[in-house]
Amino acid sequence: MAKITFKIWILIIALVLALIAINPSGYFEKGLLVKSVKVNSTAAQAGLSSGEIIKEINGKTILAMNDYSESISSINIQPINFIVMTDKGTFSYQSLTLDFNIDSNLTIISVSSNALESNLSLNSTLLKINDITISSKEDFEKAIELEPKEKLTIKTNKQEYVMLINGIPDIVVSEIPKTRLKSGLDLQGGSKALIKPERKLSQQEMNDLLLVSQQRLNVYGISDVTVRKATDLSGETYMLVEVAGLTPSELEELIGKQGKFEAKIGNETVFIGGEKHITSVCRNDATCSGIRQCLPSESGYACSFEFVIYLSEEAANRQANVTSALSENVSGDGKKILSKTLDLYLDDNLVDSLQIAADLKGRAVTQVSITGPGFGKDKTEAFQNAEKSMAKLQTILITGSLPFKIEIVKLDSISPLLGKEFTRNIILASLAAMLAVSLCIFIRYRKPMLAIPIIFTMLAEVFLTLGVAAAINWNLDLASIAGLIAAIGTGVDDQIVIIDESRISRGYGWKERMKRAFFIILSAFSIVVVAMIPLWWAGAGLLRGFALTTIIGIVAGVFITRPAFSDFINIFVKEEQ
Amino acid sequence: MEIRQIQEKKHWYDRYYRILFLIPFLLLILSFVYIGFFYAKTGDIMHKDVTLTGGTTLTLINSTINAVDLEKNLQSKYKDIVVRSLTDIRTGGQTAVTIETQTEPDQLKKDVESIINIKLDEKNYSVEFTGSVLSKSFYSELLRAALLAFLFMAIMVFIIFKVPIPSLAVIFAAATDIIVTLAVVDLLGMRISTAGIAAFLMLIGYSVDTDVLLTTRVLRRKETGILIDRMKSAMKTGLTMTLTGIAAMLVAYLIFESPVLRQVFLIILIGLIVDILATWLGNTAILKWYCDKKKIQ
Repeated sequence: MAKITFKIWILIIALVLALIAINPSGYFEKGLLVKSVKVNSTAAQAGLSSGEIIKEINGKTILAMNDYSESISSINIQPINFIVMTDKGTFSYQSLTLDFNIDSNLTIISVSSNALESNLSLNSTLLKINDITISSKEDFEKAIELEPKEKLTIKTNKQEYVMLINGIPDIVVSEIPKTRLKSGLDLQGGSKALIKPERKLSQQEMNDLLLVSQQRLNVYGISDVTVRKATDLSGETYMLVEVAGLTPSELEELIGKQGKFEAKIGNETVFIGGEKHITSVCRNDATCSGIRQCLPSESGYACSFEFVIYLSEEAANRQANVTSALSENVSGDGKKILSKTLDLYLDDNLVDSLQIAADLKGRAVTQVSITGPGFGKDKTEAFQNAEKSMAKLQTILITGSLPFKIEIVKLDSISPLLGKEFTRNIILASLAAMLAVSLCIFIRYRKPMLAIPIIFTMLAEVFLTLGVAAAINWNLDLASIAGLIAAIGTGVDDQIVIIDESRISRGYGWKERMKRAFFIILSAFSIVVVAMIPLWWAGAGLLRGFALTTIIGIVAGVFITRPAFSDFINIFVKEEQ
Repeated sequence: MEIRQIQEKKHWYDRYYRILFLIPFLLLILSFVYIGFFYAKTGDIMHKDVTLTGGTTLTLINSTINAVDLEKNLQSKYKDIVVRSLTDIRTGGQTAVTIETQTEPDQLKKDVESIINIKLDEKNYSVEFTGSVLSKSFYSELLRAALLAFLFMAIMVFIIFKVPIPSLAVIFAAATDIIVTLAVVDLLGMRISTAGIAAFLMLIGYSVDTDVLLTTRVLRRKETGILIDRMKSAMKTGLTMTLTGIAAMLVAYLIFESPVLRQVFLIILIGLIVDILATWLGNTAILKWYCDKKKIQ
């Protein structure tokens, strides 16, 4: 009986590796994937981290997205009645949160929503909240504890987390991807823009552009973003942005307009992005930018970063003006800070608030040091988070100060509905084409047994190519599918060569026959490969997917599946004789 | 027995191969002439669709809009408009309508909305837009890539066979295949997309497969039989390959809905049919002449 040869073993191992790369475990895993957890949020403090799979929320099994939204919306926190007594009177309102803040002198420095409606006024001195007499900042912290909270129990595949929340948890979840295969936009829906800078960019400028664009899309909470550089044959560089689930007009708006960065203290704008106000941001220079220290904290480690930005004189003067009106406070860790924070806005979204050191009050300094923390379970994680936050801040600061204009030269959008249709259709058509191939083989050789290894080989080649695509994170688009089909087509040609060579050279040993077959196969292979190479660059890689899948497909075919196929045929021919 | 018989009697192919060679050769000349005329008339060697000229492709996911009526309605404003209907092979029903024009998408979207009286949002339509300057540069780049691919192929063929005339025969067959296919595509009035250009590149691969097989069998398998038998056996194998390819492409062409992929398959289909003539009448005849001259039996 047939014995499993070395070549067949290689094929089996390759198939197993492809299976691991594709990783279809998503078909068996139930629950929802945590895509991100907001830093410092209640969920993060409880220990929940991205990559975990939510199984239950408050005892209810979570299978799909609607289970999740149902569970979250059923969290019903009742507002309580706050009675706030100040030197200017007593105010009462229903709210989930206190809605105001005080400085160290117990003066009310900011009021919002419900508190504002109750006419609680700024600059009054706080005396009492409900039954708590406020005589220090610590008393105020105690009063904050009065804010109503709900217990939330999240059970994941790792462990159970219990947290007290006063709103919707700051986490982003998604369905578990079924496999690691990624389909291109033309199959899953989304928008794609090809962007051309007005002039040739240096390596550094291009990297800035990519980083800034990625940052801006992330600020909007858009998660499935690919931003990459594309080059065409004439050396022209482009930026390619692909976003799943965004309309082209939204994408155009996000990319097309220059980023608007503003730094505000209170309601006053101190400086805005661009060379006019920020003359430079120190990056990649350890003397003025880097992680300064890492210390153990209550829930792990905390690292702090520091980098310097250089302001124009105009911006420095403005900052001096605004800060001179502020009072001095003492922060939690005993540092002297000003009563208001420096708030950084990107396109009118608050992205960060920085404390201002007290010694900056009223001084026009052009060199400002910006510091911030990064937390983590261990030192490495804290260090990485601090680095990430620093890079984010740095990019935000240079956003909008890109010294060149960009233009959208190509803008595509594909409806996800059409994408779904396409995928089903592609599978159907591919199976039908394979059937047609095996029918032809049957007509020629009249041996149904021959069709089996041929179909198996075709399927194996598809599977191996998909495995490689999954391993290198390649997005399969329509052009890739066309390339895959082309590769399988030449694969069938090669199998016919193997069968026929094994027959016409009967007088020779099996090895010699296969050597002959593989001379033809390898010749044809090398020709196809060299013909595909120019496509890699042409038109900013427009047809790169096509070239790539063709090459992967035929490489897998020539070096893995076809040698195994020749051994199948050997066994088959022997049994035939 | 059979071998001796053929040696005694002259095979008909010995007499007619020169005439048979004229078929692909004349086809090639005719195609050149036609493409020349086509170029003189249109200023280009092929009709290009919006992915190569620049412009907008709007796809409406809708089963009831009549493509013909919509095209008529839009024609007054957009002269180059092309509206096509996409159908589902299983049900025969329309799944979507695509609209192509060289103008910008915003106005087109508004006009289409007012004609069909449906608000278009990301759920029911897709839009692809390419700027015209960029398209022009992409187009010339893809042509350059195709030329480079052909050149690389030719060099590789020389490296593999090392003898000039048989190598040139392979290159001749590949060139015939591509040029005749292009002429047929022009004749059919097809508008080529970027993927269509990829299909021509794919054709290089498919076409060369059979030529390499033929040349190897004829020049490197002398012990398996006399020349005419080797050619016959190569033809048997090669035709199985090509016909299998044709069957697969035909099925794929009929079933696929995506117009992009359909065009790819149609071009390969035409190319495979042309390849039968180019390889088994063209390449074979040159090899036959070469073998006679070199006294290769």
